[in-house]
Amino acid sequence: MDKDFAARRRRDLIIAAVLAVIAALTPLFVKDVVVQNILILTLMYAGLSQSWNILSGYCGQISLGHALYFGLGAYTTELLFTKFGVLPWFGMLAGGVVSALIAMGLGYPFFRLRGHYFVIATIVIAEIGLLLFHNWEWAGAAMGITIPIRGDSWLKFQFLRTKLPYFYFALALCCLAWFVTWWLENSKWGFWWRAVKDNPEAAESLGVDVFNSKMGAAAVSAFLVAVGGSFYAQFVSYIDPESVMGFQFSLLMALPAVLGGIGTLWGPVLGAAILIPLTELTRFKFGGSGRGVDLIVYGTLIVLISLALPRGLLSLFSRPKKTGAAR
Amino acid sequence: MGLLYGLIAVGLALIFGLMDVTNFAHGEFLMIAMYLSFFLFAFFAIDPLLSAPLVAAALFIFGAVIYLLIVRFAMRAKANAGMVQIFTTFGLAIVMRGLAQFFFTPDYRSIPQSWLGGKTISVAGIFLPEPQLVGALVSILAFAGLYFFIHRTDFGRALEATREDPGAVALVGIDKNRVFAFGWGLGAALVGLAGAIMASFFYIYPDVGASFALIAYVTVALGGFGSVFGAFAGGIIVGLVEAVTALVLPPSLKSVGIYAVYLLVVFIRPRGLFGSI
Amino acid sequence: MTITRRDVLLGATATAALVPLAARAQTSEVVIGVIYPFSGGSAQQGVDAQKAYETSLEVINKDTDFDLPLAKGEGLPGLGGAKVRLVFADHQADPQKGRAEAERLITQEKVSAIIGTYQSAVAVTVSQICERYQVPFVSADNSSPSLHRRGLKYYFRAAPHDEMYSAAMFDFFDAMKKKGTKIETLSLFHEDTIFGTDSGNAQAKIAGERAYKIVTDIKYRANSPSLSAEVQQLKSANADVLMPSSYTTDGILLVKTMAELGYKPNAIVAQDAGFSEKALYDAVGDKLEGVISRGTFSLDLAQKRPMVGKINEMFKTRSGKDFNDLTSRQFMGLIILADAISRAKSTDGEKIRDALAATDIPGEQTIMPWKRVKFDEMGQNNDADPVLLQYIGGKFVTIFPPQAAIAEAVWPMK
Repeated sequence: MDKDFAARRRRDLIIAAVLAVIAALTPLFVKDVVVQNILILTLMYAGLSQSWNILSGYCGQISLGHALYFGLGAYTTELLFTKFGVLPWFGMLAGGVVSALIAMGLGYPFFRLRGHYFVIATIVIAEIGLLLFHNWEWAGAAMGITIPIRGDSWLKFQFLRTKLPYFYFALALCCLAWFVTWWLENSKWGFWWRAVKDNPEAAESLGVDVFNSKMGAAAVSAFLVAVGGSFYAQFVSYIDPESVMGFQFSLLMALPAVLGGIGTLWGPVLGAAILIPLTELTRFKFGGSGRGVDLIVYGTLIVLISLALPRGLLSLFSRPKKTGAAR
Repeated sequence: MGLLYGLIAVGLALIFGLMDVTNFAHGEFLMIAMYLSFFLFAFFAIDPLLSAPLVAAALFIFGAVIYLLIVRFAMRAKANAGMVQIFTTFGLAIVMRGLAQFFFTPDYRSIPQSWLGGKTISVAGIFLPEPQLVGALVSILAFAGLYFFIHRTDFGRALEATREDPGAVALVGIDKNRVFAFGWGLGAALVGLAGAIMASFFYIYPDVGASFALIAYVTVALGGFGSVFGAFAGGIIVGLVEAVTALVLPPSLKSVGIYAVYLLVVFIRPRGLFGSI
Repeated sequence: MTITRRDVLLGATATAALVPLAARAQTSEVVIGVIYPFSGGSAQQGVDAQKAYETSLEVINKDTDFDLPLAKGEGLPGLGGAKVRLVFADHQADPQKGRAEAERLITQEKVSAIIGTYQSAVAVTVSQICERYQVPFVSADNSSPSLHRRGLKYYFRAAPHDEMYSAAMFDFFDAMKKKGTKIETLSLFHEDTIFGTDSGNAQAKIAGERAYKIVTDIKYRANSPSLSAEVQQLKSANADVLMPSSYTTDGILLVKTMAELGYKPNAIVAQDAGFSEKALYDAVGDKLEGVISRGTFSLDLAQKRPMVGKINEMFKTRSGKDFNDLTSRQFMGLIILADAISRAKSTDGEKIRDALAATDIPGEQTIMPWKRVKFDEMGQNNDADPVLLQYIGGKFVTIFPPQAAIAEAVWPMK
């Protein structure tokens, strides 16, 4: 078993490296900015969903409030940049740290809640964040923050037309989130989480350790999502509360993981690779009609996939469990 | 207003709370009910108040069908049942919105003249809008009816038993699907009632459900899952908190008060005020 | 050498292929991108806008005898009669999607210019992308004053912004006061997105300058399920004038709630948006007898300029609605943009920009009550005079400014 596990982990790492190299080479062939745009969003959501998966998938604490951390990351970066001239690279770290701290602060009372109570509490806290930013004059309130663009600059991480730097950053974020997940899977924390998910009562005996590991998961997850938020702000170069902290982001972070396979290493990547291009294409194709056809197509697919494959699309690829047992 | 929130929440309380099924399409159920009531008015000039039973009946069938066609399978999911329910009903909500936009167009509708709309009873200088009054009355009746139903009839007991131990009830010969389909129908019918009353004073468009859905979830959770009385109390508290917050803070922050009270309550009582699960 | 059938065919296809090529050298078609919300909460505005743009397309591409730029003759004269084609894209009220769609339109659909967007937040990102690709952006119906103050070279707005609108309202108050009407206190009521915030700020600023007292300034959450608490506050403040800045949904709810709570202000002077929508008057028109709204457009103008009525009929056959404040601006926006492209004699972004900057269309050649169309260095047309309209007997009549007015204001409203 242990041997198998180790072998599988080695295999995963190799596959990931190969995929990353292939992804890194795509811009050589794909010159079209629209396709590049889709690729960037796909990678970004894969990374976000992977981060979400750490807390919600592996730890089993389903959060539909991660938009809070996404928005905090975006706002911290841009407030520091526009008000104090702090370069986005530092802002990104600051945003991550702020989000991680808040996640831990919230984790303390939140982890006492179970099931629906926890889910609703996460939705509600993100909604409070949204409302506060909406009414915070200094942070631009509803007007949002426009990031002044003065030409290409690596220092300020802003580029007029080329999308390549954004692409590679998104790729890096996605790889980082994947690698963190991969590493956590085999850590002490990963072991506790599996134990908690399989048998909550037995895990009670682990007590404090489990609680701390959950806090850790919340912090790591929030940190990565906040970095994603900073990236998004730089990429779009305009933020307002609704467009970085809205409920739709919480869902968009969860959806790829759920569709691909929640609590799995590859689920979020697979889910994002299918979901994001699909969303964009349905909008290109049907969006101009004003009849809501894009919504119908999109919604039907979600219903069908979640009904047909409750373990996510990944379950299509996994070998039946029996073979493993027979060996 | 609080009682109206309660009325919207009571249907959810039944589905969400008593059967322990997440329904993210609750707001869209409300939207469908409001459209139904609008079209009954527009084509047959039936006042929303009169059409309320019709709408409730239609929604009953709709709810039961949705359960049998979709939700039943979501509940059967062996893995990640919670997530599957959330995303199935969420997908359903998107489809319903899309369909509403497709068939009803995104135009804003509203019922210009109804028995209730815009009328007000004034008692000693305090204005009591009739739609809200009737809404409150219907809401109290609905709660009382549901309470009686759950606690005093065989079906109510069957419902509770089914949630707690589906295997055991099957042995006694209760068909789980029939019980739950009926429960979904009933929950949807209650939303239908709410929708019909709302239609007489609220605007209607495909996204209208979204504004109410979150408040309905919070209301149910505040009162505690599994408790009809809790949802009722939750509705009143939410209404009061909203009114008070609007006085103390800028009105654009009034929902913050509701959310803060929810967090406060569940931190102190992790199962809501009157929750049993 | 015998000429085979195949050779003939080949020759024919070759010439057929060459002819449009030669024509394209002078451009047979000009593509303009149109970015609106076609799904989600404000899909209705997108669908209406589409009809308005199709109407102006008819005026441009077909031979009509209106006294508008480009109306006579087919297509764009400056480009040898090239036709204009529109490509519609859906931004779903999301700035990121607006950005992506603008980029797609520019790089894939090769649009020469973009027009949009209804939501101001989306106009921010769309205009930034246009700036980067040096493609002109015409902001047809965004009214947020912050938009043109960002130092963009490719941004143009022919219509007034909210500060101009609000100034007109206060001009009107001043005029009414001279006639002896008591206007001292104001209640501001605005929603919390860019539109409402900007509008509320502008009104508060001008009220301060001209010594009007603001007794309540309520910012409320857009699409609230209930406005009872807010209306209670308005009622207890009971100012001389209520000044709402609301979209359609909240507007309907506001009026209904006011009726339920028995609040009847002396006057309502609204910042357009919801208060120029047919849906709002269909829903609660009976409670709004005498409401005043600012606007850039008024059907009254048809009495002085018959073409306004005719063009309105063209729009009405498409959409089943009269022109309103938004759709008229959209119609006019595309005409102005197409006129500039024709004068630029090119589809090159920079040349169109220069032509737009040189625009000078007298007010009579528009369907608007404007003095003229001429952009300042920030791309704003400062000669777009707003009008105030009063809703009386089921339709709007112009009551201010005096040169455009056809009736006296009814004050207080019923």
